[in-house]
Amino acid sequence: MRPRLSTRHGTALLLALLLAAAPGATRTEAQGAGEEQVRKELDLLKEQLRRVEQQMKQQEELIRRLSGEKPGGPAPAPSAPPPSAAAPPPAPAVVDEEALKLKILEELQPQLAAANKTFPAQFNPAIGFIVDTVLSFTSRKDQGNFEFRSGELGISANVDPFVRAYAIINGTNAGGFDVEEAAIVTTSLPYNLTVKGGRFFADFGRLSKFHDHDLPFVNRPGVLDTYIGGESQSDGIEVNWLAPLDQYLTLTAGVYNKVGASNTRVDNTVPRGLEEFTYLARATTFFSLTDAQSIDLGVSNAYTPRVRVNDGGSRNLAGIDLTYRYTPLAAAAYRGLVWGNEFLLNSERQQTVPASDTGPALFRYRDAFGMYSYLEARLTRRYYPGVLFEWVEDLAHPGRVTNAYSPYFTVWASEFQRLRLQYTHLDAPRQRPEDQFFLQWTIIMGSHVHSFRDR
Amino acid sequence: MKRLFYVLVALVALLPANATGARKIRVVATIPDLADMARHVGGDLVQVTSLATGVEDIHAVQMKPSFAVLLNRADVVLLLGLEAEHAFLPALLEAARNPKILRDAPGYIDCSVYVTPIEAPTRIDRSLGDQHPMGNPHINLDPVLGKAMVRAIADGLSRNFPDDAATFHKNAAAYNATLDEAIARWRREAAPLKGKKLVSYHPDMVYFAERFGMEPFGTIEIRPGVDPTPGHIAELKQRMLKEHVEVVVRERHYPAGLAETIARETGAKLVELPAMTGGVPEAKDYISFIDYNVRTMVRAVTGG
Ligand SMILES: [Zn+2]
Repeated sequence: MRPRLSTRHGTALLLALLLAAAPGATRTEAQGAGEEQVRKELDLLKEQLRRVEQQMKQQEELIRRLSGEKPGGPAPAPSAPPPSAAAPPPAPAVVDEEALKLKILEELQPQLAAANKTFPAQFNPAIGFIVDTVLSFTSRKDQGNFEFRSGELGISANVDPFVRAYAIINGTNAGGFDVEEAAIVTTSLPYNLTVKGGRFFADFGRLSKFHDHDLPFVNRPGVLDTYIGGESQSDGIEVNWLAPLDQYLTLTAGVYNKVGASNTRVDNTVPRGLEEFTYLARATTFFSLTDAQSIDLGVSNAYTPRVRVNDGGSRNLAGIDLTYRYTPLAAAAYRGLVWGNEFLLNSERQQTVPASDTGPALFRYRDAFGMYSYLEARLTRRYYPGVLFEWVEDLAHPGRVTNAYSPYFTVWASEFQRLRLQYTHLDAPRQRPEDQFFLQWTIIMGSHVHSFRDR
Repeated sequence: MKRLFYVLVALVALLPANATGARKIRVVATIPDLADMARHVGGDLVQVTSLATGVEDIHAVQMKPSFAVLLNRADVVLLLGLEAEHAFLPALLEAARNPKILRDAPGYIDCSVYVTPIEAPTRIDRSLGDQHPMGNPHINLDPVLGKAMVRAIADGLSRNFPDDAATFHKNAAAYNATLDEAIARWRREAAPLKGKKLVSYHPDMVYFAERFGMEPFGTIEIRPGVDPTPGHIAELKQRMLKEHVEVVVRERHYPAGLAETIARETGAKLVELPAMTGGVPEAKDYISFIDYNVRTMVRAVTGG
């Protein structure tokens, strides 16, 4: 046990040197104060050194216990370097401390290794499950329904040093399970690039990339349902670039079979020519107005050169999304305001007259516009009241407008449990106005990421 | 669309990364406490920015895209650790696309590595709240743990820039010596705090309390991150009266009303404290932050 002994030796040396130096130093300083003062200080110093030595002894004891050795073993020859005037006094102690550390680590290593054993299951992905259920009631025919909106399984993990992956598998009251998303995302490409492949929500607009339960209100705005086809679900590939600027700016380019989970214009399962894919471009930026106020702005465009069901005509969907946020820094958890807006313009060849005995179907290009706007306040950590306003033109008959307004009130019992009450007044063309009531109850269990996309 | 693209390309070409001459090490800290320490440890070698300004709730810092830009260019990121930044940092790191500072990369400097957390849960369960899964992360309120954070910063910077390791360690030792002097002074000043029981909104005063001999008695929140229910408040007030709790701390990023009411109804002193450097104008750096907290608490307890 060489380190132990040299430790003791080093301490003794240190003690001797300090004792030798101390009276001299104190004498010059305390010349006028008398010998009493000097003696007191000396005693204090001695006491401190005694404590240091005691601590070292305790450390020795620890090593002995760790190594299972009995005290009082054979004592090897002291190995500390001979005292020399040139060497700084604390040096031997430092050297010994290093040796001591090494020795302790050496003794601990087998236990550490045992404790650090990995098991195959430790590579399992993070798993989360969401239950989203809605009680709805409509004035039309006075009917209600317990709607099991989704039981959503989310799993995610790093795959290797280069990519991560995630999947969202969703079961609904429509029956069966659906792979909503299953995507591979690069993590370490150079030049600020990220590539995404598989099935995922294409980077169009803002709320079309939210899963149903993440929406700020009960239902997806009508304009997203009819123009995009609900969630912007797509099978394809997407490249996203963060511009190396002081100003936040990202650009996305993507190619997909089609965009939109319930977009029925294109068959997702059969191969198609290059002109039948959908091509997307998007740019987003961010402005800080003050510490507390900011604006997120995005423009998106999805272009399909040829849509078979539209007599081979093209389709273009353009969108602008603008989100204003007021979040006082010192009260971000319980105060704030969000004003979210999206405007969409759809241009496509629409069938105006169906085929009949007298002639073929007639098609014409139609431009249709739709939007939604919502304002949501954060009153406390729990209470988020808001109101949603919608205005949507029919895709084939732009003159026919559906509008709706929906006041709602969200209560967050905790970060993982939410209750929401909503009333919707819906005014659709050629129909009697309809009143709808919703009570939504949503929970998240297990892994949950605060994603940047869902801001 | 085409025109927009050309405009963007032109913009990018006109504004190249503004790096010229001997570049300083770009340090991004999540909170100003770490930023101040990094300035002391890094000296002239570093250029430090902080994401939070100090007035925020560390568990609810807003994810601003401009933070992604800062992190994108960072050489290292300093975080308090123990999942304190869970609400914003992981997502920002993903958006920042900077492989140097991803979790477990050398540039990801967790400043809690030399701290043994207290209140480490024996089981991870959301019925216990979700904000402190690794134990209590509010280590920055205890200056002795502050020294451990300084050491973690020096070691982290050295790991990334070994050529300057000697400088970092020398600076860290000097700063920690200054902290040691201040700690000795704070201990003297804090003598009247001994044995005083305190209730705070969130359990972020525990390290401070333990350091200066106070007893953390309870929190207004039910669990870290879960707002109180009326039943919890009633029970808390009753216990406070019975056990003579003298201090109610309202961390300045929590709502004022409830803490005020509880203090008034139990006869306790209401003390408003920042939880980070920069949380009040007086707390302009780490030392003045601890100064402010010690003095404000002592003033409240001694009735000054
Ligand atoms: Zn906390």
